[in-house]
Amino acid sequence: MQTPQSSGGSGGRRRGRDTAVPYDRRVTIFASNGRLYQVDYALNAVNLPGLTSVGVRGADSVCVVGQRKTKDKLMDPASGSSLFPITERLGLLTTGNEGDGMTLAHQARNQAAEFCFKWGYEMPPDVLAQWIADGAQICTQHVSKRPSGVVAIVLGIDEEKETPQLFTSDPAGYFLGHKAASAGFKDREAINFLEKKMKNNPSLSFDETIQMAIAALQYALKVDLKAKEIEVGVIRKDDPVFRMLTASEIDEHLKAIKQHKQS
Amino acid sequence: MGDSQYSFSLTTFSPSGKLVQIEHALTAVGSGQTSLGIKAANGVVIATEKKLPSILVDETSVQKIQALTPNIGVVYSGMGPDFRVLVRKSRKQAQQYYRLYKETIPVTQLVRETAAVMQEFTQSGGVRPFGVSLLIAGYDDNGPQLYQVDPSGSYFSWKASAMGKNVSNAKTFLEKRYTEDMELDDAIHTAILTLKEGYEGQISSNNIEIGIIRSDREFKVLSPAEIKDFLEEVE
Repeated sequence: MQTPQSSGGSGGRRRGRDTAVPYDRRVTIFASNGRLYQVDYALNAVNLPGLTSVGVRGADSVCVVGQRKTKDKLMDPASGSSLFPITERLGLLTTGNEGDGMTLAHQARNQAAEFCFKWGYEMPPDVLAQWIADGAQICTQHVSKRPSGVVAIVLGIDEEKETPQLFTSDPAGYFLGHKAASAGFKDREAINFLEKKMKNNPSLSFDETIQMAIAALQYALKVDLKAKEIEVGVIRKDDPVFRMLTASEIDEHLKAIKQHKQS
Repeated sequence: MGDSQYSFSLTTFSPSGKLVQIEHALTAVGSGQTSLGIKAANGVVIATEKKLPSILVDETSVQKIQALTPNIGVVYSGMGPDFRVLVRKSRKQAQQYYRLYKETIPVTQLVRETAAVMQEFTQSGGVRPFGVSLLIAGYDDNGPQLYQVDPSGSYFSWKASAMGKNVSNAKTFLEKRYTEDMELDDAIHTAILTLKEGYEGQISSNNIEIGIIRSDREFKVLSPAEIKDFLEEVE
């Protein structure tokens, strides 16, 4: 069993071609400036596929929009989605490494089902987001598992508070509730758009919530989106079932956004 | 911790005898948001900045000051996700103590057990130290108490202390203002003024958090409305 010769820095385990990379960049231990480089790199991995996601919380509904890039014309367009129903009442949109995203969704489904069995009520969105974040934190402290490569956006209706909820959880283990959020390649641009539009805390209706999210994504990507290029997940208070909009529904909203722009 | 492939510690001695991983962890704490605590004659106050990355973040979803038991609270500077782990472990330890002794855990014992966890992570295989320092405030049969615990697992009792970005200015400020016979309300005012000193921007009831415990031994986090009242008194 080899032991490292010093804790971090340019010393440490030496293995073939990896000698060029200092140990504190290969594994989640502290670097001399107090940073965890593997976590920073994991956050870069979220942007690597070049896709962006947006979520908006309205007065009585919440909506998330993810990009769909079909890599191959021969691929079945129904698969390759990053938008996952976790339970009837909880949705999850992952941004970043697809494999990590799918695994996370499967684990989240197990976790939510166990929660309901154990405690007798539906797992609330913030509890799921915290569970995801705590799992991510373990990977930042235990060297045996690399950090996760996705930002998770969780949406649902909180049964107790009777409000829509939007939470994000990132590879650093950081999780927050949001009025609006974005993740991925153009997240900064989308957030700038949303900060401007939502700074006076508008009370958004169901349609306005969806259109705000899609408009933010269009602004960030600087393109007019087509229905099959995005996937939209919604959940509303008076019908608290997570569902994905059909292509024609998305088209309606795209048209409405265009009309608003022109007027 | 079952990281069997890593059954060697990642925190090892440098030639000069230092444990550099712990020093780096302290650096991480030092770049965190400022927090502080003051022990008064009749209670303890802990407070922290609560700067959020965007106005779109729902500030009610974040609570940086947490209760470990009904009469012990804690605040941190450093890495939020690591803090959550320690809060969970400490709460469990407090409950295990209660189950065994049918008495609430004394503050010193909880501090010692939490510190022991932090020390474990500086010596066990395959893990890194926690990137947080904690300020634990409590009131038990030994009166009001304030402890600071560092990533190394060492802990000390303090009359007043600060951690994070603005630690040196804050500590200088506290040294000047601290008196042994301070009342809790004075301590809360001093805490607010200390936070204000180093705060970049305008302090408000929504971007700081304050937790207090009085002789009633009930730790509570002040609501934004209560903070507002104190802020107005300070102006």
